[in-house]
Amino acid sequence: MTGDLAFGGWSGVLIIVVYGLIMLSIGLITFFKNKNIRESNQEYYLGGRGLGVMVLFFTFYATQYSGNTIIGYAPQGYRIGFEWLQSITFMILVMVGYLLFAPRLYVLSRKYNFVTPSDWLAKRFRSKGITILGSFLMLYGLGNYLLEQLVAVGQGVSGLTGGTVPYQICVIFFIVIMLIYSWLGGMRSVAYTDTMQGIALLFGVFILVIGSILYFGGLPSTADYMATFTPEKLGVPATNGLVGWFSMLALVLIGASIYPHAIQRIFSAKNEKTLKNSLIGMAWMPFLTTGVILLVGIIGVSAFPNLNEMESEQLVGMMANAIASENVFFYWAMILLFGGIIAAIISTADSVLLTFSSVISKDLYGRYINPKATEHKQIFVGKVAGIVATGILLIIAWYPPATLYQIFVLKFELLVQIAPAFILGLYWKQLHTKSVFVGMVAGTILATTMTFANFTPFGIFSGLWGLFVNLIICVVGSLLFTISRSEEEAIDKVIGL
Amino acid sequence: MLKFKKEPIKNGKLWIVFGVLFLLSVPWYLPEGSYKPLFLGIPYWGWIIILVSVAFSATITYAIKYLWITEEEDSNYKEDEQ
Repeated sequence: MTGDLAFGGWSGVLIIVVYGLIMLSIGLITFFKNKNIRESNQEYYLGGRGLGVMVLFFTFYATQYSGNTIIGYAPQGYRIGFEWLQSITFMILVMVGYLLFAPRLYVLSRKYNFVTPSDWLAKRFRSKGITILGSFLMLYGLGNYLLEQLVAVGQGVSGLTGGTVPYQICVIFFIVIMLIYSWLGGMRSVAYTDTMQGIALLFGVFILVIGSILYFGGLPSTADYMATFTPEKLGVPATNGLVGWFSMLALVLIGASIYPHAIQRIFSAKNEKTLKNSLIGMAWMPFLTTGVILLVGIIGVSAFPNLNEMESEQLVGMMANAIASENVFFYWAMILLFGGIIAAIISTADSVLLTFSSVISKDLYGRYINPKATEHKQIFVGKVAGIVATGILLIIAWYPPATLYQIFVLKFELLVQIAPAFILGLYWKQLHTKSVFVGMVAGTILATTMTFANFTPFGIFSGLWGLFVNLIICVVGSLLFTISRSEEEAIDKVIGL
Repeated sequence: MLKFKKEPIKNGKLWIVFGVLFLLSVPWYLPEGSYKPLFLGIPYWGWIIILVSVAFSATITYAIKYLWITEEEDSNYKEDEQ
């Protein structure tokens, strides 16, 4: 939530139109340069497995960091102070998570031409149950993730344009552009626009922190203020803060790297070297992104003291308003910042949408519903399904149902349940297929029920409890039941590297 | 196709280092509520966490560069199976 920005209005509309047209041109250029793009899943969904270091890096970047990283993380820094340094560490831990599976999965993806994460599940377990359940968990999680982005883009746009034009028109404008460039260029368009959007986001973050330091005073004066008025935001956190901190890190380590749209980026790398270099770059980005955003939140503590939780959500908007009123340079810089935030939301939405379509195309339609369909037809079905899903989610975003709203909250809780099958399957030949399936079902049910009941024992997140049970069932089941010799040989052929 | 010469997950030492850094990355070992001395407006423990985070990123960089090594058996990647 950004609130209405006093400086927005027509300049905001202008910047939205400019950003939109740039994205559209990128889509058109990609389309005319790659005519055969829509004939093969690999071309359309993975950019022909040809993304170079810079584009791959930025598409990882724009996928991991959304507009919400700025709008939501600065207020969190404001509320809990230096404890929010954890946002640096957990973004780094996502990269440690990649080291658990990316090297091997990359090699396998080349060997067997994986397009979607479910391709790996299908190859490894040869179980309809696991592939279909895994695909549904991904679709559900991705759908809600997309919904969150659509809500966020509405809030961002209404803040930036301040009611000059109805915000729905701007949202539709952006979404139509997103659908057009995704339709035309698939992963290539998405990755190239991600590059533009990622640069806009980085630029915005830096201008915001420079403006904050110039006009609200630097960290030392804020620290003095905090020492006097809010020492709890300055000191070493108390025990319950530390438990929450550990639980957050553990969850991110196992879960965040396994986002389906992030996995598809591993498949899209041109070669191993590009993948490695992009991941190395990503390992350092938390300092430049969440670290800098934390500074903004901290400076906010002395600039806008005593905001309650709801008010603090508007922190970035308030700071931008104050900075924009200083001079023409910062006025336009703040307009660019908010354009960048909206672009960053769109760049996350397009990645999610593309992965959503690929799961429909390849895992459900191509594998089970109509196995004889050409790839062209598969892609077409995936794209149409993506557009229909976006339409439905947009309606939900604008007219949220009064009851059952919780079913739209589940994202990470469900996605993370795929992790045991996905990661253990890469290394452990004795992993027992039926136990994996039962674990996935049990973990999903537990995490869902606990989320609905709002039950988080020891302050540990419900998704993590589900994952814990899921993992125990996988491991104990695999130790109790042995797999047949022929099965073991078949698996050895797949993962014996 | 690619074959592994070194794979990060199989390097025990790497995961011990990650484990230690993980434990150090949360300030449970420092006195609750303390913040002095401050440097550049950031409390001393904040600097410790930042330093641990830098060590994390450096270890990841090292692991990707030197502990993730594959050998190509065939220079042409595309194997048309499926």
